Amino acid sequence: MNGCLIIVERELLALLRSGRTLVILLAVSIAFSVIVFLKWPSSGIVDLDGAKGREVFAWLTYAMLAAAILIVPVFPSTSLVTEVRRRTLELLLNSPLSRTSIYLGKALAMLGFVMLLLFATLPALTCCYLMGGLSFTEDVLKLYLFLTLVSLQLIVIGLLVGTYCRSTESALRWSYGVTFAMTIVPWFPDALFPGGTSPIAKGCQLLKLISPIPALMKMLNQGSVGGSGLMESRDPVLWYVGFATLFIVVGSVVCILRLSHSLLDRSRSQGFITDDQDQWVRASRRVLFLVDPQRRSAGIPPFVNPVMVKEFQCRQFGRMHWLLRLVAGCAVLSLLLTLASAQGTESRGVEYTGALIIVLQVALIVLLTPGLASGMIAGEMEGGSWNLLRVTPLTPGRILRGKLISVVLTLALLLCATLPGYAVIMLIKPTLQQQVVQVLICLILAAVLSMLVSATVSSFFRKTAVATTVSYGCLVAIFGGTMLIWMNREAPFGFGFVQQALRLNPMAAALNAMQASGFESYDLIPSSWWITGITSIVLLVILYFQTLRLTRPD
Amino acid sequence: MQNQVPVVEIHELSKHYGEFVALDNLSLTLNRGSILGFIGPNGAGKTTTIRILVGLSRPTSGYARIGGADCVREQTKVRRLVGYMPDKFGSYDNMRVREYLDFFGAAFGISRRERQKRVAEVLELTNATWMQDRYVESLSHGMQQRVGIARTLLHNPEVLILDEPANGLDPEARIEMRTILLRLAAEGRTLIVTSHILPELARICDRIAIVAGGKLRAVGTLQEVTRELSQRRTIEIQFLNSATIAAAAGRLRPMLEHDAEITVSETESIIRCRTAANDEKLTELLRHLISSGDLVSQFREVAGDLEEAFVSAAREAEAERTEKAAAKAPVAEVAR
Repeated sequence: MNGCLIIVERELLALLRSGRTLVILLAVSIAFSVIVFLKWPSSGIVDLDGAKGREVFAWLTYAMLAAAILIVPVFPSTSLVTEVRRRTLELLLNSPLSRTSIYLGKALAMLGFVMLLLFATLPALTCCYLMGGLSFTEDVLKLYLFLTLVSLQLIVIGLLVGTYCRSTESALRWSYGVTFAMTIVPWFPDALFPGGTSPIAKGCQLLKLISPIPALMKMLNQGSVGGSGLMESRDPVLWYVGFATLFIVVGSVVCILRLSHSLLDRSRSQGFITDDQDQWVRASRRVLFLVDPQRRSAGIPPFVNPVMVKEFQCRQFGRMHWLLRLVAGCAVLSLLLTLASAQGTESRGVEYTGALIIVLQVALIVLLTPGLASGMIAGEMEGGSWNLLRVTPLTPGRILRGKLISVVLTLALLLCATLPGYAVIMLIKPTLQQQVVQVLICLILAAVLSMLVSATVSSFFRKTAVATTVSYGCLVAIFGGTMLIWMNREAPFGFGFVQQALRLNPMAAALNAMQASGFESYDLIPSSWWITGITSIVLLVILYFQTLRLTRPD
Repeated sequence: MQNQVPVVEIHELSKHYGEFVALDNLSLTLNRGSILGFIGPNGAGKTTTIRILVGLSRPTSGYARIGGADCVREQTKVRRLVGYMPDKFGSYDNMRVREYLDFFGAAFGISRRERQKRVAEVLELTNATWMQDRYVESLSHGMQQRVGIARTLLHNPEVLILDEPANGLDPEARIEMRTILLRLAAEGRTLIVTSHILPELARICDRIAIVAGGKLRAVGTLQEVTRELSQRRTIEIQFLNSATIAAAAGRLRPMLEHDAEITVSETESIIRCRTAANDEKLTELLRHLISSGDLVSQFREVAGDLEEAFVSAAREAEAERTEKAAAKAPVAEVAR
């Protein structure tokens, strides 16, 4: 236990000493104060039933969950990878500290930070409590316990991911991926197969229960939005608590088992080359891979930007065989979406399915783009290869072009592979053709904006992990923040303000084009295209000048 | 291979970062085919000079030219003339050695056919052909250094600037590195090499430049530099036998300064003196020994070593820094 406390002390002190912790705590405090300020009763009449207090409490609760999902994964996911890279993990493993102590020390230190984060919300929650209608034990205490459990689950995810990844960038990317997969994604299958009694529909309803959101909604007595079938008969709080506890226990055991010298002793392939193998090996690999990744490459062809080729080569999933797999995976996903859209048409309408596909595609873009673009310049700076590029005759424009094209091509492939869903929509309702074209323009703009935001952020940082986190923050603010304003469209924000805010979000414009529920009344197109287009151009100009600045002599 | 054509010209180069002076009026010329050992303590200004030479940094004043091209104004020309290997390797993930070299070859605008030929050549030159299919990040430090040199050679540069190429290498790899560098110099390339492994530099460099505190302290051949910087010289006095050697040492002591080191080796019949005495003093000393009846068979000065010169330059810079700090201190006191 003593050993565990040593680690807790070291980790927590290191966390508290860093500037980013202070920034995060300040940002959370300010954001929560703003929520209370916006929702504070403006009239002189106070309702005695506590409805206003409960409403504000609900908002704070969702904001706290969103803050936990966005902030917590950053620290545990990078912690172990950083220790491995700095070679401090071998010092820890060679000390008398047990693996369990090291793991528990890290997890508890992260939990300590989460507690600080939750305490930063206390003033806002106190104001809310003063509005009335809340019970301390039934509402406030339960909420804090629930969020502690969610955070602990996120910490375990982060630490577990950290034992598999080699770089902070990939740890961060995978951590966010798994976190979103376990909190937000489980909602979508149920939305695609609503209220069904088929085994698939039941499975989707069960899947939804692993997300903390239905449990939180139940705690707030908001029922289960979109819930039906199994959701009605089962308690989502109990299901989630059971699942999260099981995940924490199993995840911790796996993580402790993986926390060994093998983390420091990962050998890489010594360079298997198909060209040196027998004829039959070469033939079979050609059939199995289509594009054999282990074949000796013929070199970068003429008239092709070498930076673009390099970007694809050194990206983990950038080689042709991986891109083929990615496209195939997206095509399968698209087929599933097509199936869902065909099934849900009668009950909810084509527009509903279209809106779901849009949200899914934008979620995919937001999740993948920072991973592709935020290491564009920061990664080179961190690895020391930027100076090597600077001493080549490559112009800043050519470097930038190569890097951007590599991201554009990947995103274009991803978007193209999910297009059959729209084809089916147009088949079911041919009058939607023009709307679908508008949606596609919005999606292209969303992808371009995401890429340029991440790339521009990348040019301001020297560490990929920081650039990736900031990129995710910016994209979530653009795509999620404006949706939060939309959710507050009744009060305190008026119609005009919400419309202006939604114009910043290409996803909202796509939903508007699709005439999705809640977006029909706004007039977002083409103003949203103009705003996104101009923002993208401004970002591109900033990015170009940043690249120019970074390639010039210091 | 060395000829008298200056390839690298550095003239009164200065670089200031705010009040901090990283380089102070550094001037240096280097002829074609020579190997310059650029040494100095940490923070001396070596990397700053190199960064200016390769166009990564802009000088506050002065200029640097390579092959007649200004390192700031004619960067494109300089980039083609110089092969630069920084102290940090700068690898990319998931890239094989051949792909890595191919990328940099393409970045230098070498055609695909020519590139394939060049990659094979530089791999051969650096004894790295066997690792062409290995992933760059899986290579050991020594192997990466070889790939780094291969990369710098791809575009056939006239000048090679290598920052700490022997850093972290085992003795065998160091010998290989030395052989490679000598081979490159023999091909007529000009090399600027920084290193902290001084005996290594002493073996390969025909010129040495010592910088400390941003200033060039000495430049020239190894002998010139050590003579310029060494405050003490080592004198060896060989006797015919060891019978009178202890008495001779006793006679020498009062003739030398009080902190001179005198070591007696009776088995070798040699007395070694580390002294700051000048030539006149040494002549007087030899005369005294002979007149005292000591049977001196040899009286010689042992060549000083680079380490000593290095330490001497570092001390000089440190003394200057302390002097400057002391000069500033009273002003600060008054201000307070």
